[in-house]
Amino acid sequence: MLANYLPVLLFLIVASGLGVVLLVAGKLLSPHRPNEQKLSPYECGFEAFEDNRMKFDVRYYLVAILFIIFDLEIAFLFPWAVALDDIGIFGFLAMMIFLLVLVAGFIYEWMKGALEWE
Amino acid sequence: MTNQDILVVLPEIVIALMACFILVLDLYLPATKKKKFGYGLSLVTLMVGAGLSIVYSEPAPVYGLNGLVLMDSLSAILKVGICISTGFVLVYSRGYADARGLWKGEFFALALFGVVGMMVMTASNHLLSLYVGLELLALCLYTMVALRIDSTAASEAAMKYFVLGALASGILLYGMSLLYGLTGTLYINELSASIVRHDGSTLPRTMALILVLVGLLFKIGAVPFHMWVPDVYEGSPTSSTVYLATAPKLAGFAIILRLLADGLGSLATEWQGMLLVVSIISLALGNIIAIAQSNIKRMLAYSAIAHVGFFLLGILTGEVSGYASAMAYILIYAVVTLGAFGVILALSSKGVEADLIEDYSGLNQSHPWAAFIMLLLMFSLAGIPPTIGFYAKLSVLQAVVNAGMTWVAVVAVVLSVIGAFYYLRIVKVMYFDDLATSHPGLQFRPKQDARILLTINGLAVVVLMPWIGKLTTLCEGAIEVLF
Amino acid sequence: MGWIMTTWDSLPLILQLGIKIGFIVGPLIVAVAYYTLAERKVIAYMHVRVGPNRVGPRGLLQPIADVLKLMFKEMIIPSKSDKYLFLIAPVLAVTPAFAAWAVIPFSGTLVLADIDAGLLYVLALTSMSVYGVIIAGWASNSKYAFLGALRSAAQIVAYEIAMGFALVGVLMVAGSLNLNTIIQAQSGGLHQWFFLPLFPLFLVYLISGVAETNRAPFDVAEGESEIVAGFHVDYSGMGFAAFFLAEYANMLMISALTVILFLGGWNSPFDFPPFSWLPGVFWFLAKLSVVAFLFLWFRATFPRYRYDQIMRLGWKVFIPVTLIWIAVIGAFKFFTPFGFIFS
Repeated sequence: MLANYLPVLLFLIVASGLGVVLLVAGKLLSPHRPNEQKLSPYECGFEAFEDNRMKFDVRYYLVAILFIIFDLEIAFLFPWAVALDDIGIFGFLAMMIFLLVLVAGFIYEWMKGALEWE
Repeated sequence: MTNQDILVVLPEIVIALMACFILVLDLYLPATKKKKFGYGLSLVTLMVGAGLSIVYSEPAPVYGLNGLVLMDSLSAILKVGICISTGFVLVYSRGYADARGLWKGEFFALALFGVVGMMVMTASNHLLSLYVGLELLALCLYTMVALRIDSTAASEAAMKYFVLGALASGILLYGMSLLYGLTGTLYINELSASIVRHDGSTLPRTMALILVLVGLLFKIGAVPFHMWVPDVYEGSPTSSTVYLATAPKLAGFAIILRLLADGLGSLATEWQGMLLVVSIISLALGNIIAIAQSNIKRMLAYSAIAHVGFFLLGILTGEVSGYASAMAYILIYAVVTLGAFGVILALSSKGVEADLIEDYSGLNQSHPWAAFIMLLLMFSLAGIPPTIGFYAKLSVLQAVVNAGMTWVAVVAVVLSVIGAFYYLRIVKVMYFDDLATSHPGLQFRPKQDARILLTINGLAVVVLMPWIGKLTTLCEGAIEVLF
Repeated sequence: MGWIMTTWDSLPLILQLGIKIGFIVGPLIVAVAYYTLAERKVIAYMHVRVGPNRVGPRGLLQPIADVLKLMFKEMIIPSKSDKYLFLIAPVLAVTPAFAAWAVIPFSGTLVLADIDAGLLYVLALTSMSVYGVIIAGWASNSKYAFLGALRSAAQIVAYEIAMGFALVGVLMVAGSLNLNTIIQAQSGGLHQWFFLPLFPLFLVYLISGVAETNRAPFDVAEGESEIVAGFHVDYSGMGFAAFFLAEYANMLMISALTVILFLGGWNSPFDFPPFSWLPGVFWFLAKLSVVAFLFLWFRATFPRYRYDQIMRLGWKVFIPVTLIWIAVIGAFKFFTPFGFIFS
């Protein structure tokens, strides 16, 4: 059972190794001639105006929060969907009630404009 | 899943669905109808919830949802109390919240979701359902405190409450996980028997007890876990303060009773000592610091700490009569506090917060009726006969003396006498000081429904006195079946 | 032939697995390389141009030239960047894009790890790709990279929800998380494939897949004309190549998943000869190529969406559609005599 996961683990190692090898190869094969201009952050030829770690729109946070809510819900739905045939009508209705509550929240955030980007 | 499973949690289901419905309805109604519909529907929902709790109540515990929740007289009484007091909160807050732009769908929905959380707490027979109820309530309370987004005090209070509340939840959860590890059960009614069976070191179980106790004491705001109480009471809009000052105390009583008296009943000797210390320092600190307050909401916060200390005295007796007296105490406290905040809300008109004690000077000259109601309520909070507050204190003291802790009763009486000072100071300010000139005079203009309820509430603290014995009988009956 | 099998069996397990992995990763890298060429050629022909045709016959050696060029380019690490994160980000982008292939069944038996949680594993790894993007944007310490990373992360997470819901629909019908079992549930010919009963979810999944990989028309994160190249603007040489590799490997991954979940995987479209004579791996790769071709076709056809349009599509169209379809599937299954459609 768990032995099935050995190839997966090995594949993960190989895949990360691939990424490292790419970078190392690039590092070894490529020239290295830095200068100050070359190493400055890219800003279309200007000197950088201000600190680049700047304030950004709070809506990104909102998206992140909404994502967590919905992603957790998906994680909850997965086992339910797989076992749907076993849990039958009762399981289906129970999840629909749960979704109903969630949809109420979804409608709320929609109407309150949390999903608007103008 | 049987009908019984549904019936056990029917009030919760109804209120939760209605809360969702009100929240969504609020988005689609035109602005003019929003307030009316939300308000009316919330009140109807609460009445239905209270009605269902009575109709389907059973004296002996009936378990539902695989033992996650139960239904007995205790939960029925407290559920009714929670629904009714939340209804009062809505009626009292209307004028205040409307004038400040807080009277909107979110307020009703949060209040109702909080009620669901509290009802689950009173009805839980499982550590997880208890925790879920507690968190549902707590999240609603954090948000209600922060409801006034333009107020820095409210935001600060909400942040403090949230951070400390999350910490306390974590501690409680850790304690619960230790309990689970020790006993292998999450069912509260099985805890008591399993925890003594565990042999070996008592350290883990003492740790579990302490962690659970700390979490619980934090939630009801007992010293030394009271730091959030004054700031939250003062900082949040009064319409939210009245909510979090009343009904959650009932739910807090329920979980303390269920978890300590029932679930950890076999460790009674261990938690009695801890509660003794906590309740005496709560009484002392609450009553003494309240004297120094100039803000009436802050004063009532310290008074709440002192009252929590008092009702814990009833719990720590470890006897049915003690639990019953504590239950009566907390119910009476909720009624009286509702009235006190109701007066404050009614006196806070648009742009005027009636939260400084000096604002009340000479209130008797401008609004004698408001002053009189406040007088009755303050007498009751101080425990002066012939108010129900006196009876509440008396029955707890009686239980303490019966349990053989006379010296504790003496200390409690002394500290209560100290406490009487600041309640009576309000009376003195209202009746014997001159009308305030430096402040805009307070206007007593509650909405009609709030005026009627406030009058009933104020008079009730005296008028109910002849029948108050029935309350104790009721509480005793509810608690006896548990043991 | 016998000696090959004997030698093979005598090899240690790790070595066997290593060789198998090599047989997946090697062709995958080649496929990615030629996918980039295919992209340029296909778009060129759609624009009535010729496309790259200088390196090798008909430009066939172009990808190799590209790789060699990138390999010998200097890797610039900007002075203000967070050096470790800057170097970790490309690795984080490449690793999940490749590792997800561990569980892909190329045919009924040709699968490296036939695990029961296959779909969960794939979903977990495809979700990881957002870390590469956001860390690259943060570590570069450049405004364009930062903005690109933010946009891209918000977009990826928005569409990931729609994708997740679409997967829930597939699971409701297939009843398993094992990719091979899901494919077997679709055996019997074209009409059994899930894209028919789950048509809305199929569309949502395909389009979300395009958005997940930040491809046109959802490529505001790279938006050459606005924020130059988005999160990887400060990368050069092999760092850039790594992101490039990850992006195209992800596209092939999404194509493979679309084939597995909705288009019958390695099943042949008609369950009779001569179609059933062809091996499963042929059908799998053929279908994969068609879906991968769609990605290129989209790029040549559609103008870029505005960011608000992208977010609106994800949140306000796809999520409601998928939620409704989940309810529809369940309702059909349990309350109508037509439940057989969804099983």
